[in-house]
Amino acid sequence: MESTIPRNEIPAIIDVSFEDLMRDPYPIYKRAQALGPVVRIEAANLLLVTRFEDIVAIERDPATFSSDNPESNVVKLFGPNLMRKDGEAHQRERKAIEPTVRPGTATRCWGPALEGIVDEVISAFERDGEADLFDALAAPISGRALAAIVGFEDVSWQTIAAWSQGMMDGAGNYSGDPKLTARALEVSREIEEAVDRNCPRLLDAPDESLLSSMLQSGLSTKEIYGNTKVAVGGGYNEPRDAILSLIYGLLLNPDQKEKVLANPALWQPAFEEAVRWISPIGMYPRLLTRDVDLGGHILPKGTQIGLSVAAANHEEPRFEAPQEYNAFRSKTPHLAFGSGPHFCAGTWVARIMVTKVVAPQVFARLANLRLKNPDLVTVRGWVFRGPTSLPVVWDV
Amino acid sequence: MITIKFIQPDGSEKLVSAMNGRSLMEAAQGAGVVGIVAECGGSAACATCHVVLPQEVFDRLGAPEEHEEDMLDFADAPRQTCSRLSCQVRVTPDMDGIIVRVPTA
Ligand code: HEM
Ligand code: FES
Repeated sequence: MESTIPRNEIPAIIDVSFEDLMRDPYPIYKRAQALGPVVRIEAANLLLVTRFEDIVAIERDPATFSSDNPESNVVKLFGPNLMRKDGEAHQRERKAIEPTVRPGTATRCWGPALEGIVDEVISAFERDGEADLFDALAAPISGRALAAIVGFEDVSWQTIAAWSQGMMDGAGNYSGDPKLTARALEVSREIEEAVDRNCPRLLDAPDESLLSSMLQSGLSTKEIYGNTKVAVGGGYNEPRDAILSLIYGLLLNPDQKEKVLANPALWQPAFEEAVRWISPIGMYPRLLTRDVDLGGHILPKGTQIGLSVAAANHEEPRFEAPQEYNAFRSKTPHLAFGSGPHFCAGTWVARIMVTKVVAPQVFARLANLRLKNPDLVTVRGWVFRGPTSLPVVWDV
Repeated sequence: MITIKFIQPDGSEKLVSAMNGRSLMEAAQGAGVVGIVAECGGSAACATCHVVLPQEVFDRLGAPEEHEEDMLDFADAPRQTCSRLSCQVRVTPDMDGIIVRVPTA
């Protein structure tokens, strides 16, 4: 990051390692929230904003806190895209994808498409009586759902998963490891080739897919490439992790699970609590377009800051006992889908897929589902966070 | 200045001065009207800025866009005849004095 960070004025957390952040960032966030509105996390070489109201205020002022950062790894490796644009340029591309991601389309189109996918995925391991739901369930479901939504007829979930990993490694490659850069560029090219293969079909027979919507609204090939990469990078991991966190939260709390299973309307709050509890995207960046006073610290134009929505989603007393999964807390807005103009475009797709199809089916099909051993569950990450292993057993 | 009266979900009233050309959501949010969360900052993506307009104002505005139509069906409070997403409604001088209701979920 820029050398312009005024290192001495801003409170810093210097005694935690990158591994500490990966393992459990929440105690670090709590310290940061107590230290001030903006805190330097040395291990990540980043200025972090961790308080709920500060993030909301920042997101209401996109002219000052820009999403556009031509120097970011994402833009350099994958090209310009809607997530890294502001103002009218952003709105135009956002409008182009709306027909695919609006809740009505999700209900009419993606929910039913997912019924078949979930059935196939669960049928493959249903008689085993035990599985790790990361590999057996969440990864294939999320990958196949995303391929369908994008309009990739010929892309397997394993390929989506590999692309997503390659993109994340490339985006987080701050040390400039040439191997990761090469892999990211290869992924970038493979996605463009998949776009090229699938677009002719969709030009002939438009449908509800993301590629089709972008073609119909006349986005350029370059814009379509960029936004498809955003969808692959942002539409696979997050639903996967949200599915796992929801199941994990309920299995840790059988009393809550019973209540939710007895009333399908409760899947909605149970899902929102899962993404509050373990936010799949924990942090995302903004770039200052002018000098800004953040709680008495003048940050110069060009400074990059990270908005830690994961921290905000554990802020006390807004959320009591925030480290606990509680589907029955009083309804309080959270920031897991971001806020402001870049509010997650896939919010409703994720909500409807998980609460109407995936979660109800999992609990209906896997009788007496329970954790194999709570100590075997691993949850990891901070920029992206979720269960990385969720071994369960059920009655067969 | 254009003055708009919001009736909040608990029935209490709030008088809000709104600027010509800005959105109804921005006016409500600036004044802290309860129930206008507006998570997406006006992108018509969150449905947390749901309001019910007076019939004659609703009629005057013309039909909402397809995307807003869709989103309204998924707002927390059930949709009503004159429901709109307040972020998609521009304030105009002829709105001075109108009463806008924030529906209860
Ligand atoms: C539980 C699941 C999900 C979570 C927690 C999540 C979270 C987020 C967050 C925090 C952002 C804001 C990033 C920023 O402002 O820089 C975002 C943006 C975005 N997400 Fe999601 N996401 C999820 C699922 C999805 C899905 C399934 C899709 C695609 C089908 C998707 C597509 C997008 C797109 C296109 C953007 C960029 C929007 C813009 O810049 O206007 N997301 N997401
Ligand atoms: S502010 Fe989100 S839909 Fe109006």
